[in-house]
Amino acid sequence: MSRDSKRHLSDLESDIQNHIEIETQDNIARGMSPEEARYAAMRKFGNVTRVMEETREVWVVRWLDHLVQDLRFALRGIRKSPLFATVVVLTLALGIGANTAIFTIIDAVKLRAIPVSNPQQLVIFNWKARRQPDFKGHSSFGDCDYTKIDCSLSVPFFRSIRAQTSEIFSGVTAFAGAIDVNVAGNGPASIAHATYVSPEFFSTLGVPMVLGRPFTADEDTPSAAPVIVLDYSFWRRVFASDPNVIGRSVRLDSTSATIVGVADPRFTNFTPGKFQDFYMPLSMVLQVRTQWWDSGNRLYEPDSLWVNIVGRLKPGVSLEQAQAVATTVFRNDTIHGAKPLFKEADDPRIQLLYVGEALHGTNKQIAPMLYLLMVAVGIALLIACSNVAGLTLARSAHRQKEMALRIALGAGHGRVIRQLLTESVLLSTIGGALGVLLAVWGVKAMTHFLAAAHDGVFQYVVEPNARVLAFTLVITFLTGILFGLAPARRCAQIDVNPALKESPSASPKSSHARWFRLGDALVVAQVALSIVVAVGAGLLVRTLQNFRNLDPGFQTENVLIFGLTPTLAGYTDAQNAQLYRGLQERLSMVPGVLSVSYSGEALITGSRSSTDVHFDDGAPNNRTNVDVLRTGLNFLSTMKIPLLSGRTLTPADFATAAATDAAWHAVERVHELAEKAAPAGSAVPFETVNAAPTPVVINRTFAQTHFPNQNPIGKHIGEPDDPNSPRGPGYVVVGIVGDAKYYELRDNIQPTMYVPLVGNGAYFELRTASNPASFVPAVREAVSAMDRNLPVFGISTQSEEIDQSLFQERLMARISGFFGVLTLTLACFGLYGLLSYEVAWRTRELGIRMALGAQSRDILNLVIKQVIVIIAIGLATGVAIALGVTRFMSKVLYNVRPNDPATIAGVAALLAVVALIACYLPARRAIHTDPIIALRHE
Amino acid sequence: MSTKDELQRIEMLQGTLDLLILRTLLLGPAHGHAIAKAIEFRSDEVLQVEQGSLYPALHRLIKRKWISAADGTSENNRRAKFYSLTPKGRAQLDLETRKWDKFAGAIARILRPAKQENES
Repeated sequence: MSRDSKRHLSDLESDIQNHIEIETQDNIARGMSPEEARYAAMRKFGNVTRVMEETREVWVVRWLDHLVQDLRFALRGIRKSPLFATVVVLTLALGIGANTAIFTIIDAVKLRAIPVSNPQQLVIFNWKARRQPDFKGHSSFGDCDYTKIDCSLSVPFFRSIRAQTSEIFSGVTAFAGAIDVNVAGNGPASIAHATYVSPEFFSTLGVPMVLGRPFTADEDTPSAAPVIVLDYSFWRRVFASDPNVIGRSVRLDSTSATIVGVADPRFTNFTPGKFQDFYMPLSMVLQVRTQWWDSGNRLYEPDSLWVNIVGRLKPGVSLEQAQAVATTVFRNDTIHGAKPLFKEADDPRIQLLYVGEALHGTNKQIAPMLYLLMVAVGIALLIACSNVAGLTLARSAHRQKEMALRIALGAGHGRVIRQLLTESVLLSTIGGALGVLLAVWGVKAMTHFLAAAHDGVFQYVVEPNARVLAFTLVITFLTGILFGLAPARRCAQIDVNPALKESPSASPKSSHARWFRLGDALVVAQVALSIVVAVGAGLLVRTLQNFRNLDPGFQTENVLIFGLTPTLAGYTDAQNAQLYRGLQERLSMVPGVLSVSYSGEALITGSRSSTDVHFDDGAPNNRTNVDVLRTGLNFLSTMKIPLLSGRTLTPADFATAAATDAAWHAVERVHELAEKAAPAGSAVPFETVNAAPTPVVINRTFAQTHFPNQNPIGKHIGEPDDPNSPRGPGYVVVGIVGDAKYYELRDNIQPTMYVPLVGNGAYFELRTASNPASFVPAVREAVSAMDRNLPVFGISTQSEEIDQSLFQERLMARISGFFGVLTLTLACFGLYGLLSYEVAWRTRELGIRMALGAQSRDILNLVIKQVIVIIAIGLATGVAIALGVTRFMSKVLYNVRPNDPATIAGVAALLAVVALIACYLPARRAIHTDPIIALRHE
Repeated sequence: MSTKDELQRIEMLQGTLDLLILRTLLLGPAHGHAIAKAIEFRSDEVLQVEQGSLYPALHRLIKRKWISAADGTSENNRRAKFYSLTPKGRAQLDLETRKWDKFAGAIARILRPAKQENES
């Protein structure tokens, strides 16, 4: 009810009572007794309740009535043409569903606030200075955009801030991670992700515990017994939500830690896309750390920058105020501290940023792709709208008479428009409801797909919420109005007289022509847009095909890969080598395993190592960067990389490499001791490493690039001079193999050396006789037989790895393919609608022609000619736009030009064929028109 | 009497009542009871308005913006709504009056053709 009507109705009752009162008084004045007077007055007035109801209805009933009426009309209209309704609803469901799905994911990735209390009070510390200091260590975990800011700080600085800024911050906390930790003591050993946090982490953020308690201040001291707090999902997944988990101990790398708490499920991480399995106090960095960190004490070194600091501003404290205080503390610590990092002139400063703005994480990779998708689905929805508008327009032509009749009977133009809009909004609402179902499925599929590229976990919280719902509601209504408005406006402009008098088949050319201009344009736009999308999809699919058909230089089928990091479990290099050999032997005895080897990196997994070498005939300071792959015995034969000349690496070569490595490390240790003994600042020279050069195998590109026109076998490759490390004896070439892809498929082949692997983590490769995935249990059994506490990670097949490295290409090919087919289908609906309309419109004319002796071919010509013209215009426009647009795709294409004639011709041909098929049904109907029925058509 | 007939009669009555209200308000603002009294009085008590039906009619007229309502005080010192004619209502009254004259004239001609002939 409107406010206006409420105002008018508010005094109704007292008004009526007043009325009766006056009448009663009048009656008394005429000489009636008071009771009699009142009774007469009431009788004269009538039923008060009914009067009030009727008066109220004056205001209410009209619009409600109309709405019910409109809805009933709309439903009747839909029931009358179920095919039209089905096509419209499905089209809109696809359009709305795709938009909702993509928006849901964007919402999860970009728009969701950090799930802590009052996140707008939280700020993250970043430092700036004119000069990079000499730090001992600097670690970052991908929280900030390090190209712009640096949010890694030292623990001593964190302590200063915590101690000196209690008037500014209601809480300050430091955290770092997540790092990979080897967890044992709860089922099979596994790798888990752990974040270091200061004890006030949970209280500062306002994250409660569902079980147990957070860390105490005592637990963040080097002497404290190790304790951890579990992340909720880890507790659920690995500990099966065991309520008695508090107090249990687990083995982390080589220490034992007690579980004290389980954190609330709502908090996953500050940084979108990041997560951890458990939390541990900062002080545990002494027992549990990554294999790359040096032996220094990260808790006390002001030049080890490795923690992120987050503070919660007290109410009323401004960012600038807090920044000034923090900068004072920072300058004091870093200029005047025990170990100065900066001079006054370096102007070191602290910059505070709100966490929501500063912490990006994996957003940076996913977000642009999502925005691109959002544009694509937006265009798809537009096509869907124009398509449905075309269909509605065609249908409305048949309803002209109906509308004219309504207007003639006194319905206002506004009323007719409203009725038509009710119909289209009803259709779009049904479409939207169906679209939401589609979106639920689509989001599932997409997160599944995205997760595959990120260790199988999609770390964003995806759930429908008010924002997503509002988005869907808005686009649903806008869609309904957008596609309903054109036909509705047209109906409202009807000139009643001619429309009523004349049947559609005899209708004047004018309105026919007017419809066609709009309808034609809609179909041309659809055909053109779908060509653009289809050409883009075609190019992306060709790119994917090119990658698939690419020869990587080794056999990718039937290879199982898995990783081991024995160093985390406390192995020395020598023990490592022994373990690898033992495992290699054990695995090669498994039935069905043809060959086993290992390497520092697995092939085509997006990681590589490289080193600088010096060629003997080059200038003294000359250094050349080449790729290096450290391999185990039989690696080249296991991967089937063909030997071109010389020989592959033998056990004797591995012994030589191990001896050389040991000699090199010995020289380094001697130097370290000598440097400690020498007075500060004086340079201590390295001793020479007395060992044989490491035997290596090089690839064909290496031979052609660096040993042109000579036989590389037996040639020596030197190591460049480096003042900070001993100079090794270099390498000697023992064989040449064919080129194989190393880093990723897209990459050009680089000069590569295959070097014997000595120590360190490694990936194992198993060549199997049958499906490699079926060997996973055997692998686990073999590894656990060697060492129960050694986790196996990163199990996959070589084909999966290649699929993974083609993730972006596959995603784009799949999604663009989907939209290519979708838009093509929509365009066909559009054509079908257009031609059906055309045929229906001209049934009488066609009948006359046939009665006068026109042949089927003439009729076909007549009907299809216009459609062919429209298709041709659409094709030409589409190809022209595609040629202009695909230029921007050249970066993502591989071995196919953006204006690839085959793709464009193929797509155009496909569209032409599909379009003609869409025309077939109506054309057939035209040919089979029975002249007698046609003439009686009215 | 069938429902349909009854509906038609009410329609007629409503339309007539609307016209009568507009005509009454031409003399100046009045509250509900005064309007009912005026109609009865001016028709020499021939037209007995069922007073309750006045209110839906008044609200219908407000909604069409032919009359407007304002708060005032009635003769018994109570707060009451006073209704007055809007310019739009005045125009409508003109139109309706002319229509009514035509209608009444036509009916009269059909019912009393002899008299009409005598007069002309």
